[in-house]
Amino acid sequence: MADVLVVENVVKTFGALRAVDGVSLSVREGEVFGVAGPNGSGKSTLFNIITGIPFHADSGRILFDGTPIERMPPHAICRAGIARTFQTETDFETLSLFDNVKLGTVYGHARGMSEEEQRRVTRETLEFVGLGGDHDRPAGDISVFDKKRLMIASALATKPRLLLLDEPASGLTRPEIRETSALIRRLSETGVTIVLIEHVLPLLLTVSNRLMVLNFGQVLTEGHPKEVVKNEQVIEAYLGKRGDHGRDAA
Amino acid sequence: MKTLVRPPVIARALVLIALLAVPLVVEDQYIRHTLVVAMLYAIVAANWDVTLGFAGIFNFGHLAFFALGAYSAGMLTKKFGFPTWTGIPFAALVATIASLIVCLPVLRLKGIYVVLVTYAFSQLCYQVILNQTEYTGGTFGLVLVPPLEVFGYSFRSAGNIPYYYLALALLVVSTVYLHFVIRSNLGRSIIALRDNEAYAISRGVALARQRFLTFGASAIFTGAAGGLYAQYLRTASPDMFGFAFVTFTLAMLLLGGIGTMWGPIIGAFVFTFISEAMIDLKEWRWLIIGTLIVVVLRFFPAGLLSLVEQIGERLGRRLQPAAPVPAPERPGSG
Ligand SMILES: Nc1ncnc2c1ncn2[C@@H]1O[C@H](COP(=O)(O)OP(=O)(O)OP(=O)(O)O)[C@@H](O)[C@H]1O
Ligand SMILES: [Mg+2]
Repeated sequence: MADVLVVENVVKTFGALRAVDGVSLSVREGEVFGVAGPNGSGKSTLFNIITGIPFHADSGRILFDGTPIERMPPHAICRAGIARTFQTETDFETLSLFDNVKLGTVYGHARGMSEEEQRRVTRETLEFVGLGGDHDRPAGDISVFDKKRLMIASALATKPRLLLLDEPASGLTRPEIRETSALIRRLSETGVTIVLIEHVLPLLLTVSNRLMVLNFGQVLTEGHPKEVVKNEQVIEAYLGKRGDHGRDAA
Repeated sequence: MKTLVRPPVIARALVLIALLAVPLVVEDQYIRHTLVVAMLYAIVAANWDVTLGFAGIFNFGHLAFFALGAYSAGMLTKKFGFPTWTGIPFAALVATIASLIVCLPVLRLKGIYVVLVTYAFSQLCYQVILNQTEYTGGTFGLVLVPPLEVFGYSFRSAGNIPYYYLALALLVVSTVYLHFVIRSNLGRSIIALRDNEAYAISRGVALARQRFLTFGASAIFTGAAGGLYAQYLRTASPDMFGFAFVTFTLAMLLLGGIGTMWGPIIGAFVFTFISEAMIDLKEWRWLIIGTLIVVVLRFFPAGLLSLVEQIGERLGRRLQPAAPVPAPERPGSG
């Protein structure tokens, strides 16, 4: 299948630190592409430079559906069809859940819908991620799990072709992680292509079709998840230190 | 945390009816005049709230839109002899164009720098007005602005009552307009950008475009109010660019409740009357007003609107047991 996203040799430095150091990857249409790596290995920075939020790459190329986006303004990248979530809970705290999500329908990839359609898509999206009940609550008042799902809903509301999820399961309880895992699978079934950063390994292994491991801003290895976790270097760089995450999050 | 609190429909309707009735029941010209001033301030403060409160942009050039509205209406009708009814629409237009110009540098700036640039814009307008004495009257201001006249009917007749109703109409239209702006997709995106700029952009919101729309939206009625002000008082003065005006309006916003629809309007009325009541106190007035601001913000940081709400809630609770429905048991309630 065609590559939705092609990243070629991107670099992002902070002073002397090469946070992303010549990473290349390609994501195929419809797959779930997992990204793992120890803390500070450059995973979130990779999402930042793909979406231009809050900065672009220093060098390298990023193609979305064959179109270079490495210098595109960030709102235009969203409109082109890439939506992301953030590692920390992010919301419009004074807006209602409904308005948090509706914003994406108005300005995102699927902008141009009628007011009625916007409202319908907003309601459906909230229900899809499991946020029933009162949609008029301010987003500042809800639980961490609800905030994570709200953020996914607001990304989905833009109707992206490519969804970038940055640690959707971090800080969640086991049952919540199971729900998140099911949500990602349901998402994938809708046909949207997903890149998933996650520390919770069982989740990453069950939902990913392919897995890439970063270390010190470079690609350590990439391949079938089952193979990747057996890789000696990976065990050393990543699993050796972070294996505990795998155990408590079954 | 700011929410979109507002007084109940009944309260708003009663206030509107009272304002409509004032000229019929109150003979006193001075009270009417004070109300006209309060209504114009309410328009200016409520529209300023779009940038300062809802968008969270430290725009300190807002009063310049008001002043430019006054000068442009005055100049167009006095110096260029246009019919007086063109004054207010022209004022709105000039203020809106000015707001788009100020917005340009603001796009690239944040926080304190926005304060500096917007206030500098206001001072720039002030200097230009002072220099163009031939058109603006310089330091003396623009005097003898032709009063509003429509189909030969002067708004000064019947003790300025037509001006009173025009100001009220402008306030009502401006408030309805703001209500729709804030609740519209544009309004939601303005608040979203305030709450989390990067997040809003990541959902496709184009920052620059929304900023222009925000400034433009806040300037239209501010300019119109300026035009009406000049035609009502028959002058436009360079003082309108001064810091006193800014502080005065800012106090209304903060006292009433920033980032709310009704706070600035309530603030404008309360504040105009308080300051009129203390006019004999001369300099002491500012001391008292300053103290008042500190006290209100100390105990009601969300402004007077929140105070009104709290009183409303308390009254509601007290009235509840008297309702025909059996009240739930509340041990020790009082
Ligand atoms: N804006 C920034 N300014 C300076 N350094 C940064 C910035 N963003 C990230 N870094 C640094 O870049 C490196 C990579 O950070 P990044 O957030 O991409 O790691 P990560 O793989 O997402 O880690 P984690 O698993 O903890 O989320 C880290 O050393 C981090 O401190
Ligand atoms: Mg990260």
